[in-house]
Amino acid sequence: MIIAAPTREQTRARYPDEEGFVERNGVRIFYEVYGDAPTTFLLFPTGPISHSRLWKAQIPYLSRYFRVIVFDPRGNGRSDRPDTPEAYSRWEFVEDGRAILEATGAETALLGGLCHGGGSALMLAATHPAVALGVLTFAPFIPMLTPEHLNYRSFPFDEQLETHDGWAKWNGQYLRRDYRGFLEFFFSEQLREPHSTKQIEDCVEWGLEGSPEPLIVSRAAPPPWEGEEDARALCRRVRCPVLVVHGDLDGCQTRERAATVAELTGGTLVTMEGTGHFPQARQPVKTNELMRDFAESIVPPKPKVKTWTRALSRRRRALYISSPIGLGHARRDVAIAKELRKLHPDLEIDWLAQDPVTQVLEAEGERIHPASAELANESTHIESESAEHDLHVFQSIRRMDEILVANFMLFLDLVREEQYDVWIGDEAWEVDYFLHENPELKSAAYVWLTDFVGWLPFEDGGEREAFVTADYNAEMIEHIARFPRIRDRAVFVGNPEDVVPDTFGADLPGIRDWTQQHYDFSGYVTGFEPVTDREKLRAELGYGAREQVCIVTVGGSGVGGHLLRRVIEAFPAAKASVPGLRMIVVAGPRLDPGGLPSHPGLEVHAYVHELYRHLAACDLAVVQGGLTTSMELTANGRPFLYFPLRHHFEQNFHVRHRLNRYGAGRCMDFETDGPEEIAAAIAEEIGREVDYRPVETDGAARAAELIAELL
Amino acid sequence: MIVAAPTREQTRARYPEAEGFVERNGVRIFWERYGEGEPTILLPPTWELVHSRCWKMQIPYLARHGRVVTFDPPGNGRSDRPLEEAAYERSEMAEYAVAVLDATEVERAIVVSWCDMGEWLILTAEHPERVSGLISIAPAIPVHEREVPEYPFDEELDTDEGWAKENRHYWLRDWAGYVEFFISKMFTEPHSTKQVEDAVGWGLETDAETLLVSFRGWDTKEIDPATTVELCAKVRCPVLVVHGTEDELVEPERARSLAAELGAAAVFLEGSGHGPHARDPVQVNLILRDFIASLA
Repeated sequence: MIIAAPTREQTRARYPDEEGFVERNGVRIFYEVYGDAPTTFLLFPTGPISHSRLWKAQIPYLSRYFRVIVFDPRGNGRSDRPDTPEAYSRWEFVEDGRAILEATGAETALLGGLCHGGGSALMLAATHPAVALGVLTFAPFIPMLTPEHLNYRSFPFDEQLETHDGWAKWNGQYLRRDYRGFLEFFFSEQLREPHSTKQIEDCVEWGLEGSPEPLIVSRAAPPPWEGEEDARALCRRVRCPVLVVHGDLDGCQTRERAATVAELTGGTLVTMEGTGHFPQARQPVKTNELMRDFAESIVPPKPKVKTWTRALSRRRRALYISSPIGLGHARRDVAIAKELRKLHPDLEIDWLAQDPVTQVLEAEGERIHPASAELANESTHIESESAEHDLHVFQSIRRMDEILVANFMLFLDLVREEQYDVWIGDEAWEVDYFLHENPELKSAAYVWLTDFVGWLPFEDGGEREAFVTADYNAEMIEHIARFPRIRDRAVFVGNPEDVVPDTFGADLPGIRDWTQQHYDFSGYVTGFEPVTDREKLRAELGYGAREQVCIVTVGGSGVGGHLLRRVIEAFPAAKASVPGLRMIVVAGPRLDPGGLPSHPGLEVHAYVHELYRHLAACDLAVVQGGLTTSMELTANGRPFLYFPLRHHFEQNFHVRHRLNRYGAGRCMDFETDGPEEIAAAIAEEIGREVDYRPVETDGAARAAELIAELL
Repeated sequence: MIVAAPTREQTRARYPEAEGFVERNGVRIFWERYGEGEPTILLPPTWELVHSRCWKMQIPYLARHGRVVTFDPPGNGRSDRPLEEAAYERSEMAEYAVAVLDATEVERAIVVSWCDMGEWLILTAEHPERVSGLISIAPAIPVHEREVPEYPFDEELDTDEGWAKENRHYWLRDWAGYVEFFISKMFTEPHSTKQVEDAVGWGLETDAETLLVSFRGWDTKEIDPATTVELCAKVRCPVLVVHGTEDELVEPERARSLAAELGAAAVFLEGSGHGPHARDPVQVNLILRDFIASLA
């Protein structure tokens, strides 16, 4: 396997409210504190093979209810890396945790941990019963309690081996020679659930932030106790409630060990079937629920006043989850909502959405559910992933996994409290993915809307990108095949011919055939009525009959500065060859218009009210390759140049395919088209009579009809 | 309304493992015990207009997860029908419960009450060693001063429309008429014929004379607000209050005030009347289960 090189840390769903170090015997240990709830939940790290990011799928959720503290183990992350065996005694990790509790003023705490950290949590509870309210231990590693997993006993660690196949990689010499190779092997063995590429990549990345030395050195550390009887006695000393969680595919800690811990501590054992060593990463939703339920069984939440409405007393309600990635969804979703209300005038619609979608919703007077304010922001993340006219959107969505879990948990809390008849998700990736991963959580009708199907790789991503995109597609196909009951409607916003003719990947079906079998087609939804009297509109907007109006816009994104600059560079040449050229550059909310170059005759605005009307009236538009704007121009029959963002598979493949079908727009290449080429293209295209395929105007009504049948 | 006459008891989903009588001050109280193990759930009676069958939707489910004890009130079911008012005192009702717990060898129970007029609050407050939690469905316990009823109970009225039926002379004249009227106010949810028939049937198992022994208007049954506040201050165990927003017998405000007084959790059932455990048994059973589990 080839795994991508580690990069900068991806955007978190939540950042710590406090961080610091504790120092013990000269070793500094880094910790983070999230939230300020009265009950502290301390999550131990594993050994130095990983660090505190291990809990990234738990922190945003649990910190809504508890004060969550995580720390990096000695030997990795931001903690020190001592080089003596003594410094890696198991008791040192336990004492690190205790020192952090003291430093953060926690007299008692719920304790959680996985593997090595699960052992630490139990050891702290056994030796300091007054501190531990309860222990939640995943795949606990309590040395000598039971025989080690066979994987660790197959080959000697300290000897030179002839082979490094399989578990022969668990060998000191191999670790020093090829730590990455070891980590890739080890974590692939521990994340044995299919489609775990992202979780494996994360673990390898965290592993590489440390080094093999602590793992090797710690083997010479003084053992925490003498033998099996001591280990059993330790477990028996735990007096607080204990929950042991174990995955039946765990290749690190045995079921026997987990069961023994549960038995000796008087704890509960939960087996997660089909699950490996890292349920918190691969089954985050179920794990989060187990953790919160266990914690609340020990520290009950404050009494609350709740309401349940009997079935026939319920008003008809829909929860609309509108994706903020790509700004075009808001307008089409509002159009669909309006049509839906025509069919069900009594329908109440709540929106779970975030900026910038909420700006459109507010302007339309739609009801934004208050929980929306707590969503982790997706568009900020996507923007942070972009470079010069470049956005690797597939990787950006993968690197949004923490935000997606956090937002799904928020959705889940919401729909547990409030009853809706239907959940409508317009490219609500988190809802769709985690409902298929946790099908028992579906408690309303569910509609999935999208305007593209299939993750597609770029050639420069090589074999790995082709493999990973295909793996994502394969998981989606399996989800739909196994749980057809999750999506009550899958609506493709477009027509069958708009679906790309590619395949989902090697040995996978063709995208168009599969989509036709699994989707309904609403036709395109523009969200507005096409302009009928363009002359009148031009007059209203103050565009003279002789003016040739060229509007340059990059929508609301902050990714577009480079394109705007290049088009501005082309202005003098374009002006020379187009008499009456009036170029209007719209910087949008995220770019500073003052930072853009100026030319006589060139207008630069931060914001243009009702931009879509200007686009309908113009003689030419220059835009990025996003679907919404380009289809708006298509529907209004305007000539336009579009520049798909590099590495944006949706713009380069899906949108481009659709525009070709409509015979609309002229695709430009940011790589090769300089100011000269752009000026020439402007001159050729401006004011040209176009012959586009007409865009349907009943898409919103058709989508609404499909949804209305469920109400 | 024409409601079918009561017939023999319908088949139960579960029959008691044990049943018996306990005698207190000469009054024999009939009890039933279902299931085994802990926790024990006590389902005590409410006003003697109905008897222990009012818990029929809860018993089979709760008995799967522990022991369930229920009993008939004096004045209905298989319990005695004493003619002394003292036998129906609120505090006496609490003592019957203690006697039943003793007889069934239950040390401590979670009490699930319906339309508590103060007796189960007394039990919880005065016998904390016997009660580990209280769920109060549609409690009638007043925290604030009660409104004066529209019609006097003891006087002859010139109408028997509506709440004028709640009158000594009408009771004696047409007991079935009152029971049907009262029960129809209990189930305000549409499509409640079966629940109404059941409850009317139980009401007709007793009679006006029996209920008149201790009833001269609700103020003679319910504890007074000052006592409520006093008792609430003594309650130490977790309490959950459940109340329907469309309850036409007891305004939901009483539940709200009681929950506030106790610092208790509350679940309001939107669209529900006075007997949600009968009309929305699944939801109420789940609410009971979750609360009971939280006490484990």
